[in-house]
Amino acid sequence: MSAVASMRDSILRADTRLSKYHPLSRILFYDDFDEGVNGWCELVGNHAGNLDDIREIARDFRPPQLSSCTFFDIGTHGSIEGTYSLKLATRAVPNHAAIAIKRLTYMRRGLVQFETYFTFKAEQTFDRAALSGWDGNKAPSERQFGDFSFSNDICDGENGKRYMGLVRYLNTDVDGNLVQKWMHKTSVQPTTRMERQGVVPPNQDFHTVNPDDWEEIPGGNQPLCFNETASKVNWHYLKWIMDTSRRRMVELQCNDNVMDLSSIEVPVYDGHYHGLPNLLNFLLDVRTRTNVRNFLYLDSVLVSVDW
Amino acid sequence: MLRRSFTAVLEKNSTFTSDFATEPYEAGWALEARWFVRILEISPGAGLTMTAQISPDGLFWCDEESGPFCLNEVGLASMPLRNFGQWLRLDARLSGKNPHVKVLIYLAVKG
Repeated sequence: MSAVASMRDSILRADTRLSKYHPLSRILFYDDFDEGVNGWCELVGNHAGNLDDIREIARDFRPPQLSSCTFFDIGTHGSIEGTYSLKLATRAVPNHAAIAIKRLTYMRRGLVQFETYFTFKAEQTFDRAALSGWDGNKAPSERQFGDFSFSNDICDGENGKRYMGLVRYLNTDVDGNLVQKWMHKTSVQPTTRMERQGVVPPNQDFHTVNPDDWEEIPGGNQPLCFNETASKVNWHYLKWIMDTSRRRMVELQCNDNVMDLSSIEVPVYDGHYHGLPNLLNFLLDVRTRTNVRNFLYLDSVLVSVDW
Repeated sequence: MLRRSFTAVLEKNSTFTSDFATEPYEAGWALEARWFVRILEISPGAGLTMTAQISPDGLFWCDEESGPFCLNEVGLASMPLRNFGQWLRLDARLSGKNPHVKVLIYLAVKG
């Protein structure tokens, strides 16, 4: 290791906020949600001024919230450091998704590494009947949590190819059965233009043409620490690397599970999209499969690059 | 350090034909808030009465002390709040014969 690299490493390790991360050579942004929303906003479908024109699936992705993780039984849980985390909350409507986005452009193509500490919860319910068979350990609430995803939206320079990398944690299937696997998608996310041109029918899953366009990531079986109640928050480390020079995902790490993504084909759009040169968007989402609100919390986010 | 602010759009061109409440919104970090309700369409004779509600947990709600504000025509109205604790929502009651209303609802928070 060079003297400069060694010094940088020492500085990072001594920084109590950054030392829990593993950034590449340049930190593009570090978001501590005790400092505000840091540019994460609600995704909205395309329109030209009339909100009625937004296609149904993309008109209600809900505004993100700065959450103190406060619950009815214990009060405020707080985040890893400080009080606040970024929270995405669905409606209490089956298949409703909340999606937040942060929009940048890129200077060069290469490695883009997304890191975060996250947790996920379903809203507390009070249906005594649902507690039938409760053993005091397995939380009924865990089966009321659907899935969450981390994704991006990238467009090579003007008239370049557009594609979206994505990793989804599928906690339950549509019937409420625990799946607990990391998934990748096999089709593009239908765009407003595709739908208006009749290329695809209105989609039911925002990220894919068909709801079943998903495959398990090799090694993606990974129960996470839901921890027994709807109000116990345990933060998980996640690192996801994309190589925009190859239009490929590289690796996904969640806690001690490291998954090689290099053999996975990232779907690429047909044709070109105007007005998106060097697009580099980051997205977070959570989806409920039941009539219970689902929440995704991020303590902080660090995105770094090798350019 | 500049004060932090955030505007959430809680309903976007949403049409209602009966009473409703906005989704819970966490604002414990903010010192002040202001609801903005923009009525895009409202049926003749209909009225929309809105009461700010507060909650310690996002699950159980009570009315905030400011009292309701009422709208019965197209336009924009607002309502300020302070000392509201952790969660905010609007409870909306729709009156009139076969009423319908189309609204945009914003929550602007600052602290």
